[in-house]
Amino acid sequence: MLKNILKYSTIMGALVLPISLVHAGGHSTSYGPFPVTLQGYSGDKDNSVSYSGQVARHVLHDSLKVLAGRGDGGANSATLKAEMLSYFSGSDKNKAILAPVTKGAFVIKQGTLNEISSGKNIEGKFYNGAMMAWPGSMKGREVALHMIDRASIANKGVDAENGYNWPQLISKFTMGAMAYSQAVDNYLDEKLEANTKPNNKPYKDGKPYTGKEHVWDEGFGYFGAAAHTLSLTADQAYGIAKRKDMASADVNGDGVVDLKSEMVFGPAYYAAAFDRSGTKSTSYLQTIMQAYFDGRQLITSAKGAVLTNAQRSSLKAHASTIESKWEQVLAEAVFKYAGSAYKDINKMQEDDADVAKEYKGYVKHWGELKGFSMALQSGRNNLGETAGTMNDLILFGPVTLDNSYVTDVTSSGDFKREKRMTWNDYQLQLLKVQQLMVDKFSVASRVNDQLADLGALAEMLGDQSNAETD
Amino acid sequence: MEYTEIFNDFLSDFIDPKKRIFVGYLGLSLIIAYVWLVAVRRSALKTAHAQIFNHKVFFSKSARIDYKLFFINRAFSLLVSPLLITQIAIATFIFYELHRQNIVHSGQFSDANKTFVVALFSLSMFIADDFTKYFLHRWMHRWPVLWAFHKVHHSAETMTPITVYRVHPAEGILYGLRSAVAQGIVISTFIFAFGNIVDLYTIVGVNILVFFFHMAGSNLRHSHISIGYWKFLEHVFISPAQHQLHHSVAEEHHDKNFGAALAIWDWLFGSLHLSEAEKDITYGLGLTESGPKTIGDMYIKPFLDIYGILTLNIKKVRKLLFLSSNEKPFSNRFGPKL
Repeated sequence: MLKNILKYSTIMGALVLPISLVHAGGHSTSYGPFPVTLQGYSGDKDNSVSYSGQVARHVLHDSLKVLAGRGDGGANSATLKAEMLSYFSGSDKNKAILAPVTKGAFVIKQGTLNEISSGKNIEGKFYNGAMMAWPGSMKGREVALHMIDRASIANKGVDAENGYNWPQLISKFTMGAMAYSQAVDNYLDEKLEANTKPNNKPYKDGKPYTGKEHVWDEGFGYFGAAAHTLSLTADQAYGIAKRKDMASADVNGDGVVDLKSEMVFGPAYYAAAFDRSGTKSTSYLQTIMQAYFDGRQLITSAKGAVLTNAQRSSLKAHASTIESKWEQVLAEAVFKYAGSAYKDINKMQEDDADVAKEYKGYVKHWGELKGFSMALQSGRNNLGETAGTMNDLILFGPVTLDNSYVTDVTSSGDFKREKRMTWNDYQLQLLKVQQLMVDKFSVASRVNDQLADLGALAEMLGDQSNAETD
Repeated sequence: MEYTEIFNDFLSDFIDPKKRIFVGYLGLSLIIAYVWLVAVRRSALKTAHAQIFNHKVFFSKSARIDYKLFFINRAFSLLVSPLLITQIAIATFIFYELHRQNIVHSGQFSDANKTFVVALFSLSMFIADDFTKYFLHRWMHRWPVLWAFHKVHHSAETMTPITVYRVHPAEGILYGLRSAVAQGIVISTFIFAFGNIVDLYTIVGVNILVFFFHMAGSNLRHSHISIGYWKFLEHVFISPAQHQLHHSVAEEHHDKNFGAALAIWDWLFGSLHLSEAEKDITYGLGLTESGPKTIGDMYIKPFLDIYGILTLNIKKVRKLLFLSSNEKPFSNRFGPKL
């Protein structure tokens, strides 16, 4: 009897031990907490990770998107615009979080912005280089303000006449012009240099983190991934962003989702979305997350000393991985929505089509296409000719129901549609957009690939090498 | 690459149902040959057996050259095929270009009956493939430069299923390009018109019609088993005997029966010749044509022939120019006295 008990307890022990090790190991892959390494720190903090300002900006962005769809066609334009600007440009007041909010069992911990971080805005961190993708030769911030202005007079965020869906345009553009731009063109770029924010000094006096630790954390914050992303599948990360998968989100089991560490926001959500769809051959989310994690571990391992050149070049290699994969994610999005718009045009032309309904979907998808194409142009790299080609193909506005499309904007901000294009011609341009994304960014997930059927049939028929003769 | 991989690559056609010499089709051709000889020609089984496995055919000098060419041409094919334009490149180009017209829009017939579309695509693919094979084959015979290459195939004096590989690599390239063009056109037009409902009816991964063509004993075309069909059927499908007649040295058989699977093209364009049951056929080029005799000849001679053709034509052109020109030529060595 005793022998049996001993035997079973050994078996149980053998089973439990690896499980507990896996559990313990799971924590070690979380982005934080990381120990305080700052030499001479005398405070009481034991975690050096901090990126709540970036989380606040994701929330500002999500909330702004909600507001962009609340116009009633003009009557509420003044108050709506002021409200949108309070999220875009910042406010002294503690604003409510409009998105993401609790949805059923998916309970969100914070209800106001100041519970995350106070005094933050989008505008101050918005790409402000030239934005040739938009009519009027404006700079990035001017374009965003123009969009906010137009959204405030639109009906539920849609300008059907010109073919604009403002929530989509503003949101997708911001995902690049704020998050991607700040990460790859600021924190993971010049701030990694030796003479900027060194690792042997606090980021700011009194803070428990070093210069480089915080630079890296802020760069991570803009990606919008949950801290425990390395233990998540793409499906789980997607489920969290969609507020459907409470079990995967609530990693500490406190019954609420902490936006500061457990939520998945825009950029990370799209990385996950492309990993789980299309050809399912990519791992954008995990590759980017691993690079962030490895970079942070490298800084932590320096134990508050100045990073050596070798360490910084290692860090830059991680930054380069992050940049190139993030850029690919944006290109995948351009690819996907070019395909969506192509399919929408087919649907609109069907004999029994509900044209108004299909057009609405087309305008929404085009807004995503355009927004992401502008996001792609907001990074560190000057895309040069590729940007010009992409803008020429996508146009300033979609081809609308009377085949006209936006060609310019007046000084008062109104749009002019002075050219026309057939649906077929525009579809060809959308196909070329997809091809451009393949050629220039090597997109691999290729959701809504309009040439995939050609390839599948060609493969089915077999190669023509050694074709039989008679 | 491992030696076994190279070996597998060389012999892969025998296990690929997309290829004519797939073991399944070879086996079936064998059964058809037995049935034909025993049940139709009333031969004894032993006689049929001896006739089918005729050593004089399978180990003839001509057949031995075929076997060597099979391996050498596979090597050429492995080297050259990655350089050729693919059907997908052609299909993409045409698919793009179809957007430039405004009569039919992309996906206009995507609500059509799927069964109908798949059947139509399978049939169109088969017909386009067969039709382009007919014309290229016809040109291979009619154009002297192409005939210089195609003579390699017709220099076979005994025929086995492996004779299908007795071709000059240049001809292989032309047939590959033809296939790419045919597939590219059909795939792109169908996807443009019908969208993603387009599919192919297949058996063992092969277009059902191609499968039936091979099942019907396509390997017997290059053999000494002369199977003819009823006359009416030989207007629709090329029988093995009709193709064997295409390889005949007899002048009355020259430039006949270019078709691969279908005889209708020959019928339509005046090159059909029905099989002749009682006639013994001698395969090859005959005495009037100088064909390649050795392995080296198979690859080099076409180029020498082409050089000869071009030289002759240049002479003709110069002669023509000098006759029609009033200006003094650079040299009047070959020209008329002025």
